[in-house]
Amino acid sequence: MSTNLADPTRLATPPTFQSVSVSRRIKNGIATGLVWGAFLIAIIPLVWVLYTVIQRGFPVILDGDWWQKSMSGLLARQQGGGAYHAIYGTLVQGLVCAVISVPIGIMVAIYLVEYGGRSRLAKSTTFMVDILTGVPSIVAALFVYTVWITTFGLGRSALAVSIALVLLMVPVIVRTTEEMLKIVPDELREASYALGIPKWKTIVKIVIPTALSGILTGIMLALARVMGETAPVLVLAAYAPFINYNLFDGPMASLPLMMVNERNNPTQAGFERIWGAAITLVVLITLFNLLATVISRALAPKTK
Amino acid sequence: MKIQRHGAVLGLVAASALLLSACGSDNNAPAGGTNSTSSNAASVPVECGGKTKLNAEGSSAQKNAVDAFVQAYQAACPGVDLAYNPSGSGAGVKNFNAGQVDFGGSDSALKEGAETEAAAKRCQTNPAWNLPLVFGPVAIGYKVSGVDSLVLDAKTTAAIFSGAVKKWNDPAIKALNGSATLPDKDIAVIYRSDESGTTDNFQKYLKVAGGWTKGDGKQFKGGVGEGKEKSAGVAQAVGSIDGAITYVEWSFAQDNKLSIAKIDSGAGAVELNAESAGKAIDEAKIKGQGNDLVLDLDSIYGSKAAGAYPLLLATYEIVCSKGYDADTAKAVKAFLTVAATTGQQQLADAGYVPLPKAFQDKILTAVKAIA
Repeated sequence: MSTNLADPTRLATPPTFQSVSVSRRIKNGIATGLVWGAFLIAIIPLVWVLYTVIQRGFPVILDGDWWQKSMSGLLARQQGGGAYHAIYGTLVQGLVCAVISVPIGIMVAIYLVEYGGRSRLAKSTTFMVDILTGVPSIVAALFVYTVWITTFGLGRSALAVSIALVLLMVPVIVRTTEEMLKIVPDELREASYALGIPKWKTIVKIVIPTALSGILTGIMLALARVMGETAPVLVLAAYAPFINYNLFDGPMASLPLMMVNERNNPTQAGFERIWGAAITLVVLITLFNLLATVISRALAPKTK
Repeated sequence: MKIQRHGAVLGLVAASALLLSACGSDNNAPAGGTNSTSSNAASVPVECGGKTKLNAEGSSAQKNAVDAFVQAYQAACPGVDLAYNPSGSGAGVKNFNAGQVDFGGSDSALKEGAETEAAAKRCQTNPAWNLPLVFGPVAIGYKVSGVDSLVLDAKTTAAIFSGAVKKWNDPAIKALNGSATLPDKDIAVIYRSDESGTTDNFQKYLKVAGGWTKGDGKQFKGGVGEGKEKSAGVAQAVGSIDGAITYVEWSFAQDNKLSIAKIDSGAGAVELNAESAGKAIDEAKIKGQGNDLVLDLDSIYGSKAAGAYPLLLATYEIVCSKGYDADTAKAVKAFLTVAATTGQQQLADAGYVPLPKAFQDKILTAVKAIA
């Protein structure tokens, strides 16, 4: 250090930012190019799919009949009719599935985070939930088919579809809720205990409200996912071109099923029905995602 | 913040209320287009009633026919409906036997043994009946420039589709078409690459009438030519290749403007039309007992009657003779009555053959006997 004193222009310490060497610039360029390339490759199919669906399906859903009528009594080549029967089916099957899976999922998550700790039951539950997450929808559908139809001899119905969807939805809700409950600070719980509040009341009044926005987002995303599932409706419900309000009996349409069914229809009318149903499904799921965002914004914990 | 929260909840409630209260409608009948209804309804006494929503499943070959039947059924009995899932004959029989659907549709009658036993169990120990309600002719469609009219017999057809006859001006074809000038061109055979009842029936016909030795089944066994997917693919391929020939459902041959070969079964060349196909149905012998109208297809395929077009695909409705609950029985009877009468009138447009009168009576007798 003392040897440098002779040169007054020289800095005591080298500058923090030196000019970048050529090799590093080249590496940087390559990395930037790769990242951008990957981004473009990822975005191309997305934009392409959206463009195709909108371009082919949009004119169909502009017709008011599309949202109010079913396909009842129409020949394959006859245009007209609507997707009300399928929209109803998709929404009702999804909502019934949610009504069953949300309480189960949330309570399992509460057990895992608040009560289970490192116990053997909690560990095996987590393990099972992990396995369930990886179960393909067709396996869930076939399982319900075996139990519901082959073993108990009950008929194919929308309820059977909902039950198969429950198998797909519960693990998703358990995982998201678990994560949300984990990030609730322990200080909140401790403050509550310090005031003499029992554990269950702490969970109901403190922990859940704090995590609510995240939990709801998770539920909405899980719902959006199961509404687009094709395998359960294909195996467990017959397609009906008419409106069937009865959840427990008879064939019921849903949007994915309608698309599968019209795939065999080579006419222009069939083409329109497929893309109309496709864009309707995309719109419904987008609405659910938007709703999730709105709800999570509205219910986000107040920091001030 | 408080307001925003209420707003979100309100929005959710409003949206769901809107969705659930916006009552949908099943009514797709064209406004004021009910004139055909009244005239038809008068001619056939249909006892409407029973279950309003029937459920059926099976052969995709009769999907368009069932769609037409449903229209006629709705015209005759307001407020009723039927769902027909064209998931294939196998699925139709399986789901009928499992009691999942009210009746099944199938390209072939129930097989004696396991299938009939399961069906009897499903019908509370009553036999199930096979009612051949929909007949679709199979056309031998071809495209050869300069040849508008072509006569084939089963033997020559079998030779073409097994590769024994390779040229359009082969002596075997020439012998059947005395006056026509046939080009010296290779024959391009196009067949269905997917499993199909059409292929099955075509090969059975060739076996009975033309000495086909390659075997039958849902896969084409001829060993020549080029496979195409589904009826639409086959018909389009023939339409775009000069010198091509195939077998395909009548409506597809018509839609793709293919020339259709006349068939000579020994009593002169027969053109494919509703009349000639109807004649072949009349020739059909029934091998089932009583009201179980199982067809002896060999009697159609082997028919030598003048003016009968023998290459037909018959599809059945599989119903319980007894053992439905009262509501279902009533609705099934109403639907089948309409299907066998007014429903048949629209079939020609969809590429099927309307049932001839005598045959129609047999079906109606059977339908009346369902309890």
